[in-house]
Amino acid sequence: MSSLTNDFDFESALAACVRGERNALHRIYQLEGSRLLGVALRIVRRRDVAEDVLHDAFVRIWDKAASFDPSRGSARGWIYSIVRHGALNHIRDHAREVSVDATPETEFAVEAGSSAADPYEQVLLSSESGQLYDCLEKLDVAKRSSILLAYLEGCTHTEIASRMNTPLGTVKAWIRRGLQALKECLA
Amino acid sequence: MNESMDNNELAGLYVLGLLDDDEHAQVSRQMAADPALAAEVSYWQERLLPLAAMVEPEALPPALWSRIERSIAPVVRQVPRVEPSAWSRLWDNLAFWRSLAATGFAAATILAVAGLAGAPRDDTPRYMVVLVAPDDKAPGWVIQASTEQSLKLIPLGSGEVPPAKAFQFWTKADKWQGPVSLGLVQPGRTLDVKLDKLPPLENNQLFEITLEPEQGSPIDRPTGPILFIGRAVKVM
Repeated sequence: MSSLTNDFDFESALAACVRGERNALHRIYQLEGSRLLGVALRIVRRRDVAEDVLHDAFVRIWDKAASFDPSRGSARGWIYSIVRHGALNHIRDHAREVSVDATPETEFAVEAGSSAADPYEQVLLSSESGQLYDCLEKLDVAKRSSILLAYLEGCTHTEIASRMNTPLGTVKAWIRRGLQALKECLA
Repeated sequence: MNESMDNNELAGLYVLGLLDDDEHAQVSRQMAADPALAAEVSYWQERLLPLAAMVEPEALPPALWSRIERSIAPVVRQVPRVEPSAWSRLWDNLAFWRSLAATGFAAATILAVAGLAGAPRDDTPRYMVVLVAPDDKAPGWVIQASTEQSLKLIPLGSGEVPPAKAFQFWTKADKWQGPVSLGLVQPGRTLDVKLDKLPPLENNQLFEITLEPEQGSPIDRPTGPILFIGRAVKVM
């Protein structure tokens, strides 16, 4: 992340959005738009859809800026949660349409070979340091990968189970225990 | 929802996007009234945010910002209209339901005519709903529930969703606090919906289809006009 992003006051920018200053929304877009598009694309996996998600998310940020509550978390976190929410809602609805067609295998097919031992190892190693990354490294590979597949790719429990070639119940337990371990580590 | 799950865990699954539709909708609703739960959701949103650094940025298409800019002007003016939805207005309107009752034969007629081909012949309770347009009472969809835990939404015609809009399907039983989304629907296409995370279907349960933004309602209740509406009737 650039130092520009670290220095930018997202909270003030949201306050400016509430006052109707479009330039503030544009600054958020310039600073975070391309990474937010990346976040949406990883989840929805289609560029045109990811662009729609980003469009809708920025409209929502503009509309709902007044409802941002700084006592609950950072403005940047709030902005990211809106984009992730939009992307996850899209695949939720999409999954429903697919189940109606009764041709789920074409939509949910998992790429062959994606069940590598630790698909995120390289990324973790190359990513910046921080408490979350330290804690993730302490998790075993199964729990870590399950959590990352959910957060980064928007995978459901079932999709994770399929990718990791593991029973659904085991994956659910991994994620619950993984979250507990992360919480303890982060405390 | 798993009763043994504490708020922190529920919030973690919510932020990871791992709750199913109904649980997700329930947490979204509950957060508004439950600051402790909202705080747990914020906890995970903040703690997991550094993971976004693992995602490669994507080049922004030049036209996207101008599209956003065009969208934000009119939407701002609509904000005050979002909260009080047409739901409360319409379902508290006795005259509307009386007039609908007068056309109640429609359900029986359609049941007979449409024949609900392939409906299982068993003894389970069945429910029928005819969704009609609020203004002219023209039937647009039939809901058939052969169990209390699933239903089939069957179109009676085709139609077209306006650009950048979507049809969203909702239900609410009398004692529920608010409606629950059953997902987006496409004109002319049958939709199977599992209700296994909702209380069993009950007589008089309300169903409707509203016009919403392309991604569905931004809040967890309808925001747009009602296109079709009806109540469940138990079929003997």
